[in-house]
Amino acid sequence: MLRLAALSAWSRRLTLGLTLIAIALAVTLLLSVERIRVDARQSFTQSVSGVDLVVGARTGGVQLMLYAVFHAGTASNNIAWDSYQAIATHPAVDWALPLSLGDSHRGFAVLGTSADYFARFRYGDKEELRFRQGKPFAGVFEAVLGSEVAQGLGYRLDDRITLSHGLGELGPEHGDKPFRVTGILAPTGTPVDRTVHVSLESITALHLDWVGGAPLPGVNIPSAFVAKFDLRPKEITAALVGLKQRGDVFRMQRFINQYRGEPLLAVLPGVALDELWQSVAMVERTLLAISALVVLIGLAGLAATLLAGLNERRRELAILRALGAGPGDVFLMLTAEGALVTAAGALLGVLLVTLGSGLAAPWLLERFGIVLATRLPGGQELALIAAVIATGLLASLVPGWRAWRMSLADGLTPRN
Amino acid sequence: MRISAAFLALTALSLPALAEKGHVHGEGSLEVVIDKGNLSLRLELPLDVAVGFERAPRNDKEKAALAAAQQALSDPALFAPTPAAGCKPEPARVEMPAFDGRKPPEHADIEATHDFRCATPSALKSVETTIFKHFKQLYRLEARRAGPGGQGAARLTPKNPVLAW
Repeated sequence: MLRLAALSAWSRRLTLGLTLIAIALAVTLLLSVERIRVDARQSFTQSVSGVDLVVGARTGGVQLMLYAVFHAGTASNNIAWDSYQAIATHPAVDWALPLSLGDSHRGFAVLGTSADYFARFRYGDKEELRFRQGKPFAGVFEAVLGSEVAQGLGYRLDDRITLSHGLGELGPEHGDKPFRVTGILAPTGTPVDRTVHVSLESITALHLDWVGGAPLPGVNIPSAFVAKFDLRPKEITAALVGLKQRGDVFRMQRFINQYRGEPLLAVLPGVALDELWQSVAMVERTLLAISALVVLIGLAGLAATLLAGLNERRRELAILRALGAGPGDVFLMLTAEGALVTAAGALLGVLLVTLGSGLAAPWLLERFGIVLATRLPGGQELALIAAVIATGLLASLVPGWRAWRMSLADGLTPRN
Repeated sequence: MRISAAFLALTALSLPALAEKGHVHGEGSLEVVIDKGNLSLRLELPLDVAVGFERAPRNDKEKAALAAAQQALSDPALFAPTPAAGCKPEPARVEMPAFDGRKPPEHADIEATHDFRCATPSALKSVETTIFKHFKQLYRLEARRAGPGGQGAARLTPKNPVLAW
């Protein structure tokens, strides 16, 4: 009986296969939406910890967060070094980390900062950065690599690397001033892994003989001589600020937002993220609803396919009855067929999501700073899959019931 | 997958400057800081929400409305922290807009600060407000908080007057 059912399904493999693919794609969509939603939150929340304020030029708070913390997107404006000094030396401020972005190394962001960064920066649950090898940069033209940079490009301590100007891989090279790798960080699962860290002075030194974003023709200052120049930065991209007392945070935010020297923006990172989630919650719900609808359409398609097949299978079902199968068996067979196709579709969907997230992960990380984990579904995702299969089972009850009715009424020669 | 991510990013980028909250009628803002045993709440309310006008009072009725608003905002029961935290209110400070009579201001805000001293700050998990019962014109309060558990933002409404973390 089981064998017959399997053979029968195999003889209709094209229709069933197409239905299965439709369900698989629908499940893929549903799970992707859910996974990106969860992972975006997770990775954004994990990326910064213990920072009271993020300061940058006046743009949107989310945009500031994106480039200052996730090194994604670009800054519209820099802030003057004097403004940074005024904030860093404010009596309420405990520590401040300058951030200077804009150069890259083979697709990885280059971050100019102070050596303090490695001691001060926290991620996840107040975890510190750890060096897998080496130590922080001490001088000009020294670099500390994030774990993924070192692994992806096969770099070791004391290797020489050259940075490129701008964010593209095709930007002009700073080929005359190579950097020595002094340290490699342990993996963090945050954008730090994909960042090359150098000192602010190195960033200035790189651009000594540059004007307007291109090398000055005929001028070439060799690396050995840059120390003779004033390497204090004129401007930086953003700053992370920690306060002595948490109670000052809103006052300090107002102080920075009303700073007279130039238009600045200070955001509380946790607040900015929550406000971001508040505003995308509607979009998320809509996306989830649409994908749920797509799944429903897929399952309705399944029920329709099985129902339409019933007429052609009247003879087959009648023969099964003649062989001794009860109406209950016929009902069970049809329902099981639908449920199995749904389950197989869901399984294929999970497989597609796992493959797809592996493929999309680097792109999402680079563009949006979202760390997409390649993992088996868990929690909410499992609940979604269970809901899909349950709905599939429910939808299969319809053709099952029809078959049961038909097998009661029909003889070997169906009336039509 | 790509589309949904792009959608998310688009929405994110089209948001206005989030930290720069202007003066929006019907909407107040609340800043909450928890630092050791101190819970500090700073409330900013458009005068319009509280009394229905944003200018110097013109008659006794309007004067009474201003006084009533000030009274309501000074009430220590305006905010109720988690009972288990054992928080004792300190006298509230309410700053009403000063109308010096010369140039009418475009907008006016009331500022109220409520401080609490909490015996067990680790038990402090939420603050509930009764403000929506006093001011029917207020339909939301944008709350931002900074505490030992991190920072966050939430929108309080008459249906959901509890800030929890």
